[in-house]
Amino acid sequence: MKYAMLVLKNLLRSKRRTILTVLSIAVSLFIFSALVSLPAVANQVLSDTASSVRVACHNKAGVTYSMPEAYKQRIAMTNHVVAVVPQSWFGGIYHEVSDQFPNFAIDPAQAETMWPDWSVPPEQWKTFRELRTACLVGPGTMKRFGLHIGQQIQLRGTIYRFNVQLEIAGVMGGKAPPNFLVFRRDYMEEAEGRPGLVDNFWVRVDKSENVPQVIAALDEGFANSSAETKSETEAAFVSTFVNQFRFFFQLAEILGFIVVITIGLVAANTAAMSIRERRGEIAVMRSIGFTSRAILSLLLSESLLIGLIGGIIGCGTAFIVLHLFAVGSSAMGAFGDIQMPPYVLVGTLFIAALIGFLSALVPALSAARRNIVDALRMVV
Amino acid sequence: MDSKFAVDLEHVVRTYKRDEFEVQALDDVSVQVPEGRFVAIMGPSGSGKTTMLNLIAGIDHPTSGRVAVGGEEITGMKERDLAAWRARHIGLVFQFYNLIPVLTAFENVELPLLLTNLGKAERREHVETALKVVGLADRMDHYPRQLSGGQEQRVAIARAIVTDPTIVVADEPTGDLDAKSAEDILGLMVDLNQQFHKTIVMVTHDPRAERYVDTVYRLDKGVLAGVEPGKRARSAAAEASA
Repeated sequence: MKYAMLVLKNLLRSKRRTILTVLSIAVSLFIFSALVSLPAVANQVLSDTASSVRVACHNKAGVTYSMPEAYKQRIAMTNHVVAVVPQSWFGGIYHEVSDQFPNFAIDPAQAETMWPDWSVPPEQWKTFRELRTACLVGPGTMKRFGLHIGQQIQLRGTIYRFNVQLEIAGVMGGKAPPNFLVFRRDYMEEAEGRPGLVDNFWVRVDKSENVPQVIAALDEGFANSSAETKSETEAAFVSTFVNQFRFFFQLAEILGFIVVITIGLVAANTAAMSIRERRGEIAVMRSIGFTSRAILSLLLSESLLIGLIGGIIGCGTAFIVLHLFAVGSSAMGAFGDIQMPPYVLVGTLFIAALIGFLSALVPALSAARRNIVDALRMVV
Repeated sequence: MDSKFAVDLEHVVRTYKRDEFEVQALDDVSVQVPEGRFVAIMGPSGSGKTTMLNLIAGIDHPTSGRVAVGGEEITGMKERDLAAWRARHIGLVFQFYNLIPVLTAFENVELPLLLTNLGKAERREHVETALKVVGLADRMDHYPRQLSGGQEQRVAIARAIVTDPTIVVADEPTGDLDAKSAEDILGLMVDLNQQFHKTIVMVTHDPRAERYVDTVYRLDKGVLAGVEPGKRARSAAAEASA
């Protein structure tokens, strides 16, 4: 503790340089933590669905091909199936073209059984079942457009040539996708002229160990039909969408690391200059009895502190910005807003400390080990 | 080695390598400085004065020979032990003061005490005493840039004596000062020697220094060319015989 004064005094020796170094580390770690948080969103979605007992049953030709809604009865009769919910993509926009978010039409009857993890209160489920124009909205979408329960909203059709007038019956929570809206499929069917088609079925299985059996039964049951099916676990189904973003996520991570390495080199140059300027003082301190180790500790502590302060500012700002402004809510679709998971927060602070430590290590070692007489001669 | 000597150098040789050249800075120098003396090492540039001082201060190692300070042989001590030994036994004064610019006079003087086990209150007491001794009790909170050269050197002397070292070594302490400040600093060193019985070894070019010291060791081309009593010793001897 008694050396803390020395560390602080040296940090404030050149305030401008210290502030600029801290800010450059802060900016780079802001970018890094924000970029690295992107894949974390998708990983969280995958992790949330990993133990799901839901199965997605869609057309074998692809998810954009529809299937007869009459399949519902056959699927419901399959062993171990406890609920079936047909789903169709509506793809409407709120006000502007940029106001996009995933919106689907679902059958309300067994929706509560299908998605207990959405944490929708029973009375809101009840309204959803009873009101033909009811919809449930994810918290991210509610926040993004400043919506409230009971509000009437209109979704403009982009695929379909009609709009839907909806009333917000409830807000989804829990593990529901944050940027999401579901409304009743019977309303959409009626507006569409009852074609009797759905995009896919969500199937809830009684136990996770029965999921493979149900998948096999469904696909075998619809083999050689007009619309053969491909059934897969919810995790597998979601991962097909996540994989579309995979390259983007990897690029983000690579860019984040490039930024960190670049700023690490800049910090190393600054630390080397700062230590070089003080080699005379360091020699004097050693001549009055400070050991090489003590000098090394002092120099590294300064640098570590600069790195950590930069890290806290950068990472903290990124955390607040992502939290407050729901960054990426439109770009990330149903995955939700980019939120900084705790491991990114801790990891970024660790990297900040590492930048501080490594940037000063070589010049500090050199200064601490330099021959005192030679160093004093340079001063004089 | 005789423990009554504050400094005891026996057949010390110090050779440096400068690129492909080998420079013999000290060649078989033997010097004994009794405790409580104020001595000067004098000689032309390149005569090995500073090298000898560095060996006494334990910041350099002899190529051969033995160095003992305060009865303790420091030749062959490990760097870490030597650092601890310097903190306990050596007070260093440099030509260009070498104060830490971001620290106040108080903090500069406190610096060597950070290496001790003294508490904050005790450190403050020691620092205040040292600054009082050098006459700068009223400049404690001044930064080096706010002090004159003479005052900076006083702070450096306070830093050198604050741990109550066995020996104070000073490398050209008046070299960067005007005549008046130089006289003041030499007077202060005499006070330290006489009132506090500090052994002081000073390297200097300053001919005025001869008037203040007990003994002058003259070096020339790395060899001890002579040992003479300083004028202070001569006048004391003259007074005694009268």
